[in-house]
Amino acid sequence: MDNPKVIYMKNRTESQLNTLSELDEEQAIISRAQQGDQQAFYQLYQKYHKKVYAICWRMLADKDSAEDVCQEVFVQLWQKIANFRGESKFSTWLHSVTNNIVLGHLRKHKNWLQRIFSIEDQIIQDVAVEMEDTTGITALDRHIARLPERARLVFVLFAVEGYRHEEISKMLDMAIGTSKAQYHRAKGLLKEWVEI
Amino acid sequence: MNKLLSEQDLQKEVAALPDELTPQRDLWLGIERAIQVKKQDELSFEPSTKKVFIPTAWAASLVAAVLVTWVSFSPNFSSQPVELVDKNNSPLNLVLAMQENFQQTKQTMLISFGQPKVSDLPKEIQAELTKLSSALNTIEKALLADPNNNDLLNLLRWTQKQELDFLAQLYSPKWQSI
Repeated sequence: MDNPKVIYMKNRTESQLNTLSELDEEQAIISRAQQGDQQAFYQLYQKYHKKVYAICWRMLADKDSAEDVCQEVFVQLWQKIANFRGESKFSTWLHSVTNNIVLGHLRKHKNWLQRIFSIEDQIIQDVAVEMEDTTGITALDRHIARLPERARLVFVLFAVEGYRHEEISKMLDMAIGTSKAQYHRAKGLLKEWVEI
Repeated sequence: MNKLLSEQDLQKEVAALPDELTPQRDLWLGIERAIQVKKQDELSFEPSTKKVFIPTAWAASLVAAVLVTWVSFSPNFSSQPVELVDKNNSPLNLVLAMQENFQQTKQTMLISFGQPKVSDLPKEIQAELTKLSSALNTIEKALLADPNNNDLLNLLRWTQKQELDFLAQLYSPKWQSI
């Protein structure tokens, strides 16, 4: 079987891209992927994996976990893509799938020490070294990664991804007031840390 | 000493965050491998186990729920083993005949499928078979204590049929399902 990467590059001609509008083209690719076309699925991966990785990276603050979870998102996407009915934009749906998988990963990997002593509330001091391997991160990203876990999650979901506190409170199983408090805590820390 | 960042400046910094980051390694290789494995799993199990699993799990759960309710409220049922003393009692004979008939049908069916090993099935399927078998045992035990109970007789017949249907779908040659 030919490598889908090679086939994708061969087929991605100018004329094809110009024939359909971008949205129609994406819908066509999604439909093919829903029918089990792996080459079409690779096109979706090419288009979205950096966005998915950015979400994973910001929420997990760990390069290796972000890579693993990003892979998990696409493996699950392959299985779930038939469930996409086009009621929302594909990118919005994928965003929500990604958030669910990231949060599931965090819940699953919270160890007993974290559960008992609330270690997630500690500020991470030595995260910067690992971050250097990821292309495109900004100074603010490095500081976000240092935030205590709950403050980081709330900040990323609210300020970066645009969710409302009501939604975040459900996603993170916390009170709305707690979500707001964590956001203010994150903002306070970031204002202190970011150099001007 | 650093000056504190203002709210506006922080908002500007957040707005300037890139919405894409590039992972260091090629993630596609692992994804492709996982997809291939899943595809192979689907090919191996789709006609026999995957489609059957959900209704069977539902059936086993339903039987379990009915039994729990029945056992909890029935004054006749005892958890002690029942002695089969009254072999001339007609309803009891019916229960025994149903058991025998079911076992024979099941055995014939398994022979026709080449005596497959249950241990070769995926664990979740094995668990469902165990649940069905356990439900059957409990119904049979309850019937031996109360052989005139029509509801239990119907439940026994229905559960036996579920198990036979399940086995048929699990082991039927794939071309039969086309």
